[in-house]
Amino acid sequence: MNRPNPVLLTLYGGALRLYPSRLRLLYQDQMLQTARDADAERDSTAFNFWLYLFTDLAKSLAKERLLMIRNQVLARPIFFYALVLALILTLWGFPAAMTLQGVMRGAADQPQIQMAQNYASAIASGKLAEDAIPTGHLDLATSLEPFTILYSADGKPLRSSGYLDEAVPTPPTGVFDYLRTHPTDKFTWQPRPGLRIAAVAQRIDGAKPGFILVGRSLTLVQQQENQLRRGTFITWFALMALLIGGSTLLNRVQSGSPTTAAQG
Amino acid sequence: MNAPPQPLTPAVFAILLALADGEKHGYAIMKEAALPEGGAIKLGPGTLYGTLDRLIRDALVGETGLTDDARRRYYRLTDLGHRALAAETARLTASLRTARSRTEARGARA
Repeated sequence: MNRPNPVLLTLYGGALRLYPSRLRLLYQDQMLQTARDADAERDSTAFNFWLYLFTDLAKSLAKERLLMIRNQVLARPIFFYALVLALILTLWGFPAAMTLQGVMRGAADQPQIQMAQNYASAIASGKLAEDAIPTGHLDLATSLEPFTILYSADGKPLRSSGYLDEAVPTPPTGVFDYLRTHPTDKFTWQPRPGLRIAAVAQRIDGAKPGFILVGRSLTLVQQQENQLRRGTFITWFALMALLIGGSTLLNRVQSGSPTTAAQG
Repeated sequence: MNAPPQPLTPAVFAILLALADGEKHGYAIMKEAALPEGGAIKLGPGTLYGTLDRLIRDALVGETGLTDDARRRYYRLTDLGHRALAAETARLTASLRTARSRTEARGARA
């Protein structure tokens, strides 16, 4: 007979408290006694024996907890259906809102796409930049109108209808590098913190190569996006509150109904 | 009361088998199940008492009311438990008979 290991037995006894209370009340003492008996008569090493016992405990603990959850769910099907509905609404609602946000951002590239194509093809076909590109002096920080900037082939600004702090802003050089191998690029440009612009850049081919950039402030789109985000969260919270409140109420009504009371 | 699913799990079969010849406490069931003739199933206390709890709920096993002390309670097979064990034994016997005849037929051909 082996000498019992009081430390591991105490640890095992402590771990038994993790079982669902009903099982713990019914079997905790018996389980501990069985572990004690098995330890006294074990024919394997103490390490292997206790490793097996703790592994068995972890496995059965997980199983009993899962069974308990399943039984609780089955006992209250209304809450289960509410949970499923909440999951569906969440899994469907948030991607839908994100898609809508993407559509809004995509729409912000209009009419810049068309404008950039028109200016680029006009200049490429020999029209003077002065004639092709509209004049103007828009402040990018405040204006919501589209603006146009013409850059030379090496990325220097030649002509612009938009200014930021009285200077013509230049996008990161990576934009021009990209345009040397691609005809067009659409991107969100942040010439300074807090100012976001939906920009469309187009390469100009022909006798006077260069780049044309048409942009528009994203302030309005950002406001719409914020409204959408706020609306999505408010709707989600309202639906969840409705589901929780409704299912709780239904559960109470069902629990208190004469049929159920008679059965109970 | 739920009828036990067929086929029985090895752990359930080993517990029913251990109790078939009389009432036993948990550790005795564990020891018997570990024997080759008891099914050679290694049951830890967690698995054993979790399974016993479900067998009691399904009325296949009952407590005798006899105890050495509160920590060693005795369990026995109910009539339903005996029937479930018999049904499972018949099922296994039929499978074994088929397996044996097919193995022997293959051996004879070779």
